[in-house]
This record gives sequence, C-alpha cells and structure tokens, in this order.
Amino acid sequence: MAEIKWGKREDHTLLNTDILRIDGPDKVSGRAKYSHDVRLPGMLYGRVLGCPFPSAKPKVDISGVDVEGAFVAMPIEDALRDGATTWLWQPIAAVAAETPELAEDALRQIRVEYEEQKWAVTPDQALGDDAPRIGRDGNVVRPSERGDLDETEVEMDECDAVVEAEYTIPIQHHACLETHGVVVDYSGGDEATVYASTQFTHGVSGDAARELGLERANVVTLVEHMGGGFGAKFGLDLPGMIACRLAKESKRPVHLMLDRRSEFLAAGNRSGGITKMTGGMMKDGTLRALVSDITRLGGVGMGANPGQPYIYSAGTSYTTAKSVLTNTDSSRAMRAPGHPQASFAIESIIDELAAELGLDQLEVRKKNLADEVYHRQLDRAAKEIGWHDHANKARPAAELPDVATGIGFGVATWGGGGRKVCQVDVKIENDGSVVASVGSQDLGTGTRTYLAAIVAEELGLTIDQVSARIGDSRFGNANASGGSTTTPSLAPSIKVAAHKAREAFFERVAPLLEAQPAELKAKDGKVFVAAEPDRSIPWASACAGLGEAGVEARGEWQQDLQARGIHGAQAAKVEVDTLTGELRVVKFVAVHDVGLPLNRLALRSQINGGVIEALSYALFEERIIEPWLGAPLNASFEEYKLAGSMDMPEFVSIIDDDDDREAVIGMAEATIIPGQSAIANAIFNACGVRLRDMPFTRDKILMGLASRG
Amino acid sequence: MKQFEMLLPGSVDEAAKSLPTDDSFEGRRKVKVYAGGQDLLGEMKEHLEEPDAVVNLKGIEGLDRIVPLGDGGLEVGALVTLRALEREPWIQERFPMLAEAAAAVGSPQIRAAGTVGGNLCQRPRCWYYRNEHTVCLKKGGDECFSFEGMNKYNAVLGGGPSYIVHPSDLAPALISYDAEVTLAGPGGERTLSLDEFYMLPSEGDVTKETRLAPNEILTRIRIPGGRQAWRSTYMKVRERGAFDFALSAVALALRLEDGTVREARLTLGGVATKPWRCPRAEKLLVGKRIDDATCRAAGQEAMRGAEPLDHNEYKIPMTQGLLTKALRKLGNA
Repeated sequence: MAEIKWGKREDHTLLNTDILRIDGPDKVSGRAKYSHDVRLPGMLYGRVLGCPFPSAKPKVDISGVDVEGAFVAMPIEDALRDGATTWLWQPIAAVAAETPELAEDALRQIRVEYEEQKWAVTPDQALGDDAPRIGRDGNVVRPSERGDLDETEVEMDECDAVVEAEYTIPIQHHACLETHGVVVDYSGGDEATVYASTQFTHGVSGDAARELGLERANVVTLVEHMGGGFGAKFGLDLPGMIACRLAKESKRPVHLMLDRRSEFLAAGNRSGGITKMTGGMMKDGTLRALVSDITRLGGVGMGANPGQPYIYSAGTSYTTAKSVLTNTDSSRAMRAPGHPQASFAIESIIDELAAELGLDQLEVRKKNLADEVYHRQLDRAAKEIGWHDHANKARPAAELPDVATGIGFGVATWGGGGRKVCQVDVKIENDGSVVASVGSQDLGTGTRTYLAAIVAEELGLTIDQVSARIGDSRFGNANASGGSTTTPSLAPSIKVAAHKAREAFFERVAPLLEAQPAELKAKDGKVFVAAEPDRSIPWASACAGLGEAGVEARGEWQQDLQARGIHGAQAAKVEVDTLTGELRVVKFVAVHDVGLPLNRLALRSQINGGVIEALSYALFEERIIEPWLGAPLNASFEEYKLAGSMDMPEFVSIIDDDDDREAVIGMAEATIIPGQSAIANAIFNACGVRLRDMPFTRDKILMGLASRG
Repeated sequence: MKQFEMLLPGSVDEAAKSLPTDDSFEGRRKVKVYAGGQDLLGEMKEHLEEPDAVVNLKGIEGLDRIVPLGDGGLEVGALVTLRALEREPWIQERFPMLAEAAAAVGSPQIRAAGTVGGNLCQRPRCWYYRNEHTVCLKKGGDECFSFEGMNKYNAVLGGGPSYIVHPSDLAPALISYDAEVTLAGPGGERTLSLDEFYMLPSEGDVTKETRLAPNEILTRIRIPGGRQAWRSTYMKVRERGAFDFALSAVALALRLEDGTVREARLTLGGVATKPWRCPRAEKLLVGKRIDDATCRAAGQEAMRGAEPLDHNEYKIPMTQGLLTKALRKLGNA
C-alpha cells in the first residue's frame, strides 16, 4: 500500500475550502431529529425532583401521587450519604407519566419532609469553623505546591514593579440548548435502544446495559443529532440512569430530558475560582517573579486549573493550589477546562504590571512568550484590531471622554492531538453511491460534514455523492468527543479508510482501463490514467462492475496524519460609556493555527463560537447561589444571562495559514480561552478601571469609574 | 403549571363579574386576568401563581385599539400589543418616548404577544420573588430577603419594607406624558392618574404594586393632548442588549423655548419600588438651559433621598449619567 499523506493543502479541491455543513438544511428547517424530539409508541415522560436545600435528609412520601398511570422511582438511596443529600438540587425522586404535564403534576404530589443539614455554598462557609464535612477527606482537597517560595521572593524584591491582586472567576454553565437526557426504548426483553444527547455514543451502551441488566451487545445507542455538550455530556449520566430505572419499572419507553432548572443545577458547570497573585516585573517588561495561590471552586467536584504562569515564562514562579468543596453540583469538563480561569489571572497581572511601568501591552506580552508563533499571531491580531493607530498603549488619560475606547490582548494554547481508537468504514456500491460510517457523534462542530468531505476528496467526488453516517453504536468504534480530540482521532481513520477503499476500487477498475492500479487517479467524477487523462471512465460506469458486494474498506488511525500543539492570539476592542457604565465589545480579532484546515468555514465558526462563549462569560455569566438561604437565584435563561445577537461584536476570525503542518489538529478549545482576559484588559485600557472579578457588569464598571474619581 | 379553567367573557363587565371581590380570603377560588400572558404564564410555570381559572380578555372587542383624540391626545386599549405601539408611525412621531419605551421591552417575541395592560400590571422580577422556594414578603412571607441579600437589581428609592423595582418600561414613559388609566369593575369605571395607580410597598398591601382592586380590570390608557411643542425620550440601561429589564431608565419630556426649559416631566424606571416621578428635578429644570451644570443639578435632585443597599449604589451615578444623556439628546434635538 502506498504511503498515506494528506498531501499539500493547496492541492485539495474540497478540504481546506469553505464547505457548507451537509446537515445544515435539516438543522435550520427543524427536520433534524434530536433525542429530545424522539417520540415512540407508548412512551412515558420522566421528570426529576431535586432537593431544594444544599444538604438535607429527605423523607419522601409518594402515597399522595394519584396521577393515573404514573410510575415513581426513587433513585436516591444509593446517592445519599448517611441519608442526606450532599448538593443542591440532587435528585431524590423521579416519575414517569403519559405526558410531560402529568409527570410534572405527579412530581408535585410527592410530599417530602426535609430535615435541613448544615451546608456551605461559598468557600468562606466551607472553610468556616462550623462547616459541614463535604468531602470524605474534608473540604480542602487536592492541595499542591510547585516552585520555591524563598527563591521567588528574593527575585520579587529585585523587581521594578510589584502588583498584588486577587482575581475571581465565577462558575459558568454549559447552557446547552438541548438539556441532558435520553429516551430509553425498553419494554422488557433482551434488547434496548437508547437515544442519547451525548458526547460519547459508544460509552452510553455499556452504562445503559448495566443499568438495564442487559448485555452491552444488545443495547444500541443512537445520536442522530445532539444539541451541544461542551464537556458536560459523557456517559449515561444521572437522567439516563433514572430513565433506565423508570423504563424497567414501567416496561414502557421513557423520555427523560432534564427541565431547564435541573439542567442549570444538576448537570455540571465550569468551576469558578480565586487566584491570589503577586507578580514582579522589570522595567524592560520581563516578568521576573510570580507567586500564585489558586483556589478551584467546583462544588462537590475538583474543578480545574492548569496552574501558573500558564503560557507565559516567569523568571521564578511559586504556585500553590487547592480545591474547596461546597454543597453544589460537581464541576465537569467544559471547553478548555481550567484554561480561561488561568488565562484571566496571568493576562490581568501582566497587564497591570505593564500599566504600572507604562509599557506597551502588546510588546510586554511578546517579551514573556518564548514561542515565536505567539509573536506572529499577536502582531496579526494587533494589526487587525487597529493597535498601531490606537492612541493609548499603556494607561488611559486621566480625563475620559463620554465614550472611551480600549484594546486588550490575550493568548491561548491547546494540545489537540488524537489517539488510535476510531474505525471508519467506507463502502462503494455498484450504483456509484458511497457511504462512510463511524459511530462518532457531531456536537455541532461539523463531524458529519468532514466525514463526507474527506472521502469525497479522496475519491474525486462531490460532497453530496458521499453519505455520511454517524451516531450509531453499531458502527465502527469512536472516541468520546472531549478535549478537541474528535477530529485528530477520527479524521486520520477516515483518510485511511477512504484511501484503502480507493486502492481496492482501483484494483477492480484497472483492467477496464488496461492499466495498473497504481497508474490510476480519481477526480471530478472520473477514474483515469494519471499520465493520460483521456483514458478515463465515468465514476458510475467504473462502479457498475463491482457486483453486489461493492468495495469495502476499514480505516484505522495513522499517527502522522495528525499533530498536537496549537496557539492563538486574540484582541478585543471595547467602548465604555463613562456616564452609564455600559460596555460594548465592538470588534474582536482571533488568530488561531489549526494544522491542516479541513473545512475553513467550520473552523471560522468554531473560532466565532469560542469568542462568543468567552464574551458571554466576560460580560454576563455567573451562577448565583444565595449564600444565606442556599437558594439558586438564576437557574433560568432569564436570570442567567447569555449574550444575544445584540451583544455581538464585529468578528475577525483568522486561520493562521503560516502554520503549514499537513496534519489535522483539534482546535475548538483554544478559541474560548483568552476572550475574557482580552476584554478585561480592553476595559482597563479604555477607562482605567481594572476589573478583577468577572463578569464585567455595568455596576462594577461604574463603581470603578466613581472610585477613580 | 397547575391545571386551570379558561374563561372567555364577551364583555368587560362579564369579565369583571367573574373575578372575586376579595383575594385575601383563604380557600377561595383564585382567578387571574389573562391578556398577552407574557408575565402570567411565567408565574404559573414557576408555580408563583396557581389560579383555578384565568379570565382571557382577548375575546372582548374594542380593547385593542389605538385611538387618536381630537385634542391631540391618545387613547390606548389595554390589549394593544407592545409591537403595535412600537411600530405605529403616528406614535413614533408624536409620542416618541412611548414608542421607544415599547421597543425597549423584552424581545420581539415578547413584544408581539405582550400587551399594554399586562406591561403596566406585571409583577416584580426580583429573583427572591421569582424563586418558588423563597417565601418572601411579596409572597406573604415575613422578610424581604433582598434587603440584606443579593440586591444588585433592587430599589434605591421608595424601598421598605419591600425593595423590588417596578419592572415596567411603559409606565415611566406614560407617567411622563401625564397619562390616566381607566379601571373597570362590576360597579362601573373609575379613572386615576397612572402615577397614582402605583403605590409604594409602605402604602398598602405589600404583596401588590398597584391600586387595582381584585375585581377590577385595566381597560385603557389616555394621554392628554397639547404636547405638540414637547420633546421626549425614553432611555434604558440594561445588561444585555435585548431581553433584559432596566437597571435604570429615564423617561424625560421637555417643552423648550429657544433652548430654555419651560416645562418638564421626569419619571425613572428600574430604580424604585414604583415608577418614580421626580417633581423636584422637574421644577429645577424649568427656566434652565441644558448645560453640564443643569445636568448635574437635575441628577442630584432626581436621586435625592436614594438609599442604596449593599450592592446597588451604582444605580445612583448610572441614573444621573443616563439623565445627562437624555437631557443632552433633547437639548440638542
């Protein structure tokens, strides 16, 4: 077999171009069927009852439930600790009924007597003298220490400027449009089908089989379309487990998608955190010493933070880190777990030090970034945002205009490599049709589209000549979509499968052209002898002789078709209304290297999406649990504010084509990392208000302006 | 939401008669008035209201009209949608503050369904009130949790014992146009100024925001004429660019002669327990030209008596800043 390579990117006719997503029309017209849309004969609707206290011993009385045909399940016992819930809105019972409304009625007929336990929802409460013991090993867990404090302090004393600050970042929700959940089609017997909103098609079958008491081979998982995951949807999860129990109990299919409140409170989150930092800088902009103390706040989970000085170099650095547990649901992975948190702290303190020394924000970054790729990308971002014509490059003037304009920067990193796990099948039928299948899933990133595109490119077809089938556990194995690993794990297997299918196909076609298989080429819907393009045969005719079995090939991962290690530089331009504190992000530039671009349109959409998610986090998003009542105050889309179309800036999303690696890399995570940092720095650059506590709401800007005088 | 009966009266009288005379009596059948449903449905879904019946006004003829009056005034039926107000060129031209206020409400979907009557009678957005599990003063409990709690969005004016802010965008604009409201009950109609329609939490039943009796229905609004020489504007600061309630709002109407203010109306939204008319600031503006000193002084007067809680002090400079912008806008128009 010939060596398999992607080839030069400029030689591609489909890959490395803007490809419209093949399922786009289905999605925008509503034809696309999500798990939430599944309707089966005899199906019941499930609802989950969450405990309204951060910790309580519930006494559940179901005797009052008189909704006809309702089934009640109590999933609680195995999740309680000493009879008590350990996190706010922890499910304590569930019901299934003929309609969602009846299920809701039945749920409210369950009488619960709560014996409230001691709880903590803030780190202060969790660290207080009479705090409840939340984790088995206490409330401070996974402590770590790195570096030499004494040495760092000696270096700090030598610095020309020292800034001490505390940066706080709130808990962010994944806010997937489709909530967590499944439809379990099980009515007794040996087989079941699970329609899941998941990032891991193959993972659900095993979990569901265990819960249903079936063999894994007899449980099919289907994920035709799914409405967003961002890291929160691996495995069967609580709602799926409860749905299986309800289906087993009722012997009816059960549809259980969380309602929005439960989604906000019981389906995971991006951990918040506090980073206390002292940084020291030299007059030339060199970051010489950094002391960081990181607290991760992930509810009953550990939270995430990659540590400091993150992407930057610091002469000496000393970091301590710990998680503080509270009685709220566990943090989960969320697009670049921990990275936005780390970015906000380091990008802010570098900016603060630069301002203190009157240094150019752009140049001081380059000074402390060893990797030249960042210099190139920062320069590009600076050019696009208009940095060179921007009057103020360090500190704003004392006298502010009614509308003050500012620019800020931040950088990103990610691995984005894949691993050997995906098995892709490509079949060429004797009528010329081609189907590519793998049990992967499309989280909205365009997996289905590049599955068809890679095969079409290899076979010289148009993308609509290839059917892409995904989201079915009966298809070849595929990895969980997390950490930007889907594409680097899957795309190489697709390429190999398509390549092998083409070679097998050429073996069969070569005699028709009286040529050797190695002499053939497929392009523009024809198979021809490469040296003599006139000796050709149309694709359909070439396939006609394949017989009933057609040609089939399976592809596995090949390491050198993917790579790891990407960067990114982003710049935000904001306008601050100094009379009212109103903030507008007017322009946002994001430059990212991505290895081989499979679909340039989808890549720019990924960049836009990451920027939007970061902008929304920067301006609005924050979970609020009332510290005295332990009550959730914004578990709805009204009160938990997400950026809308009116809040969008002008986007300049750039694929860094100076990266000439002919290998596929996962890049989605990097795009979300530095947005809020760039915005924070832009606010300071505009009006001199340094916001160390996200989100950057009008009240904070205005009070900051007031204290500036 | 809880199941309920839907009543479809053919007249205002019939509708009013289906309402209980007193809603304080425990165990009585609970009936709620339904128009666009933009607030009521949310309340029912969150189980803040669980009526046994809702009286749907949409079948009543004549409540959805915008009627220009002979004196240059305007009558607006309670069922007129916010979108109709926002889009009516005649209103945009003569009552711009009203069109701007209507356009500032919620989202296009909400404005398409939401009505004038519903907007004026809507319940507070305070998140303690909106959380089913926190039984606050507004819901018959004995504590206003926002007083010492997470009160960033709460009132700096007119607070005590409740600190909600009145959420309406239309009300401040209508009050600055001296609007009157007509309420219909089983005994007939009564009219009062919209300013009087609202009450402070200290003035009566703290679970209510208006003087609407349990068996009354708001049927129409009248704006008196004689405003041809006035300029007006509604300006609102919110966090999100759309689908958000006011952090602060200014409804300002001025009659200017050669750059000098001859008459003024100023009502604030988003900062007080009711739409907050500012008579002292209005008086201060009369006889003044719009310059920085006037803006500063008017801002001082408008926020006189403000008592910030722990997290809402920003509303004072925000409102003053917004008033400055509104004054400059009208002064330069």
